[in-house]
Amino acid sequence: MFDFINTINLDILCITQYNVVYGELMTNESFENAILELRRGVIVLAVLSKLGEEQYGYSLINGLKEQGFEIDQGTLYPLLRRLETQGLLNSKWRIEADRPRRYYSLSAEGRVLLPRLKNEWNSIVLIMKKML
Amino acid sequence: MSNNLVDTYVLEVGRRLPKKIRADIEAEIRSILQDMLDERSQKSGKPVDEEMTLEVLKAYGSPDKVAGTYLGDRYLIGPRLYPTFILVLRIVLMVAGIGAAIGLGVALSQTIYNPYHDFQTVVTAIGNLIVTLLFVLGNVVLIFAILEWALFRADTQGNVKGLPREKAWDPRLLTRLSPPDQVKMAETILEILASFAAIVIFNFFPGIFSFGFGISGVWYIGMGNLTNVPLLSQAFFYYIPYLTLVWSLTIILDIVLLRMGHWNTAARICLIGLKVIGIMIAAFMLAGPSLLAVTTGTLTTMIGSAESAQSMLPILSQLVHLVLWLAMILGVLDVVRLTYRIITSRQLPFNIPDQNQ
Repeated sequence: MFDFINTINLDILCITQYNVVYGELMTNESFENAILELRRGVIVLAVLSKLGEEQYGYSLINGLKEQGFEIDQGTLYPLLRRLETQGLLNSKWRIEADRPRRYYSLSAEGRVLLPRLKNEWNSIVLIMKKML
Repeated sequence: MSNNLVDTYVLEVGRRLPKKIRADIEAEIRSILQDMLDERSQKSGKPVDEEMTLEVLKAYGSPDKVAGTYLGDRYLIGPRLYPTFILVLRIVLMVAGIGAAIGLGVALSQTIYNPYHDFQTVVTAIGNLIVTLLFVLGNVVLIFAILEWALFRADTQGNVKGLPREKAWDPRLLTRLSPPDQVKMAETILEILASFAAIVIFNFFPGIFSFGFGISGVWYIGMGNLTNVPLLSQAFFYYIPYLTLVWSLTIILDIVLLRMGHWNTAARICLIGLKVIGIMIAAFMLAGPSLLAVTTGTLTTMIGSAESAQSMLPILSQLVHLVLWLAMILGVLDVVRLTYRIITSRQLPFNIPDQNQ
């Protein structure tokens, strides 16, 4: 009888440990996905905010990274093209030290849009502060 | 060597991109990779070598993944058409299956009872069914893929072309749409099926329209072989491309109507156009050479009586004329009805605001 109770206790312990470990893994994965979604929401504002001065793609990635905003090349460069086709950015090729580089900067429309996006962001921050 | 690797990589990415944007993106990727290699070389204090290049290329991503980020979502049949595609596919496959089952029943009933022959007939029918279902599936996918490309494709800049943006949906539409403006789903789907079946039969199985004799001496509509007598003449088949065009346009219009859910003036005008073309084709058929391929001689061979054949042939000709006249009259009545609907359809008593204003 005593052995039987011990076996049940062991099973309960194993199940609990399994749920804690597996539950933590699931939570970490969900957390990573949620973080990605959160970042995706602000990426356009972050990129536009750095293009008041002309920059090429790689310097833009490093500039964002220095300020704590990590962004993948696979995300940034297609985004820059998309923002350009939407009329928010201008780009031009320049040859520097025998190396062609594509420089991006805010267009006139982008310069009008950026302060509006900043205001919208500030409103969202206030709302979230109240909610959280 | 490292430059060759970079060039090969860039070309592989470019191969997966449309020509319009290929050169520009290739130049950009090459520039980015050079910057990454320079940075790594400065940090490590070593010159750029093959190992470093391989690391950078691995970190940058596979050509498929990189090209995919520039292209966005691409569909053969996108989410907007997919529900209609599934609906049409289910119905068409069901009808094809039922048709094959009926065909098998007819084939079995026309043979003298023989287990081996019956087994052979069943096996052949199953084979034909599989082929038919695959053929139908392929054609439905092709039609919808063409519709997706024509209506909803995105250009290389990611802007979606096609139908005008939807207006904001108003629940009041549910009660305010009068019956003539509502699209009757069952009728419309049946029309799609009938048009599709007509395209397939008249273009790929014209031999169905022939007479022949079964083993038991019973007439049957055959699939065309040396013993069969063709029913329709070359004069009829001359019009098949034009009829195919009308049927295809009918299918497209019906699919658009199914998606909209209601008739509007533009749709009615399109249908009037199709009806007018149909009337003209019927008129040309009526005025042209005989559409029947049977002659007194072939009928005599089949029936066995020259007298009966002589009296039957004019009846068959008159029947064809009657069908054509009926088609024209019904077409004219449809045109009149649709014109009346266009004139009398009132504006809805409220405006549906444009979502994009």
